[in-house]
Amino acid sequence: MPIHEKSLIRPENLHSHEELEIEGVDVSGHWSTFIESRVITDYNEQMEEEIAALPGGENIHRCWQCGSCTNSCTVHAVNPDFNPRYWIYLIRTGMEDELLRDKDIIWRCVSCNKCTYACPRDVVPEAVMKATAHWLELKGHTEPSPSMQFDEEFSSQVFETGKIEESRVIRGFFARTGQPLMQEWLIEMGKRIARKLPIKMGIAMGLGFLFRPRTSNWGGAKAAINEYVKEQKAAQRKALGLNSGAGD
Amino acid sequence: MSKPVLVVGGGPAGLSAAQSLASVGQRVVLVEKEQDLGGAPIQSGYAKLVPSGLWAKDVIGGMVQRVMDNDLIDVRAGQTVEAFDGDAGQFTAKLGDGSAVEAASAVLATGFTHFDSVNKPEWGFGTYPDVVTTTQVEQMLSSGDGVKCPSNGREPERVAILLCVGSRDRQIGREWCSKICCTVSANIAMEIREHLPKCHVYIYYMDIRTFGLYEDTYYWESQEKWKVKYIKARIAEVTSDGQRLIVKGEDTLVKRPITIPFDMVVHAIGMDPNVDNISIASTFGIRLQKHGHIEKGSSYSDMCGTSRQGVFVAGAATGPETIDDSIAQGQAAAMAALAAAQGPGLVAAE
Repeated sequence: MPIHEKSLIRPENLHSHEELEIEGVDVSGHWSTFIESRVITDYNEQMEEEIAALPGGENIHRCWQCGSCTNSCTVHAVNPDFNPRYWIYLIRTGMEDELLRDKDIIWRCVSCNKCTYACPRDVVPEAVMKATAHWLELKGHTEPSPSMQFDEEFSSQVFETGKIEESRVIRGFFARTGQPLMQEWLIEMGKRIARKLPIKMGIAMGLGFLFRPRTSNWGGAKAAINEYVKEQKAAQRKALGLNSGAGD
Repeated sequence: MSKPVLVVGGGPAGLSAAQSLASVGQRVVLVEKEQDLGGAPIQSGYAKLVPSGLWAKDVIGGMVQRVMDNDLIDVRAGQTVEAFDGDAGQFTAKLGDGSAVEAASAVLATGFTHFDSVNKPEWGFGTYPDVVTTTQVEQMLSSGDGVKCPSNGREPERVAILLCVGSRDRQIGREWCSKICCTVSANIAMEIREHLPKCHVYIYYMDIRTFGLYEDTYYWESQEKWKVKYIKARIAEVTSDGQRLIVKGEDTLVKRPITIPFDMVVHAIGMDPNVDNISIASTFGIRLQKHGHIEKGSSYSDMCGTSRQGVFVAGAATGPETIDDSIAQGQAAAMAALAAAQGPGLVAAE
């Protein structure tokens, strides 16, 4: 029996066996087709609590599903699948499988914060998107996004020396993301900068490259920041039921 | 001295009317069919009232006490009015005990009847002991026993509150909003969360009508401070898997069927017209409006009036009403009844 309106069913919810015999009857192929139920059989309250425990997720429980965030969203305008309102609902009801279907687009929030200013309940959807992307990474559902890699490199340098040195940030970022250092656009940019750069600034950049600049007496601040970051990361991992995350 | 004013019903509206009349020296005969005054908040054992947050037994109890202590108010509890004859300024009411009361005017504060959930059998009340009403939860809270599943006394870990039970439902001839249930449900949800922090509370709604200043103090507060969850779905049925209750419906936001297990389901029951309204209308010679509530006069020219001159109405007798507004209407009806009692047969200004 063919399934009518098969196009309305998600392909992964259609199951059939190439070879199947039940009580002597051959039901191979489409004869054994069944459709997986769409029924939601339970809520998972844990999911909202986990995302609320991450920075930016704190106000997710305020959402009343008005859709102001999605309506105002820059990314939604070009990709209708980018729907913060919907994701917030999935998180609040604990529909993890449904959320994971969109795991590769959630991080594409461009942080324009139009939603932040449209939201009548101060949910701060932009921050919730960040927390959600973070949650997906911590749970291992997605690879750390390029922007997260950049942030990690940037902040690790600040924590280390109290300063950043641009070329070192770029090199670190490329190393983390497995990109070659010699990239055409970068070489071109280097050439043009070299042509116009005042001598004095060129020397300063060169010295910065060779001798890493540091904030004086940074040791105390560095220890305090590292301790705080360690605490925060441990608390987040604990809230998500993950191990302490040695190495961070 | 002028004849007394007859006040029928000893709930918030009736108590307010009686107290107001007595406060200006007007004698009152207050007839209440139950043995005790207080109306629904006392008879049904409400807990903390909206919006004061004060216990019903304290504040409505206080109104009862003031009326009982007032020499100008003659309380006839356990009585009903069997007959009511005469005209404005000279009515005669005959009570169940055979006594006759001369009255210059009358205020009907006869209230409402809670919707009986057995009339929506698909939602499991009467079939499963852990399906209860908002009134029962009020009693659990006001008794101090706490919120527990009636079946085995366990503390629920997940509670569903179904809104609009007995309201906004043409199938059962209730084409009105009962006005208070959204706010009462948000209030109850917060109380449950306060008493049982591990218990998750879900409210299934069609619209949320926490009107006016109840918006932030009940709806927002329940979400923001107490993390109560609101799901837009009108539930199809409540069944059981033998262990827990199963709430079935459609989650309209994700367009998917739901069958969610719960420990307790609470019906946010609506306010029906008083079941005695047909006989009340017949006894007092007044009209009911189409849903069976007492028909009221124009707010612009005949505040608290009924279809019979000299007979006034206040509170939930006219339709779903809050306690605070019932009390206010009691005072308004007192003013109208006083004018009718003392004036030379005043006719309402058109």
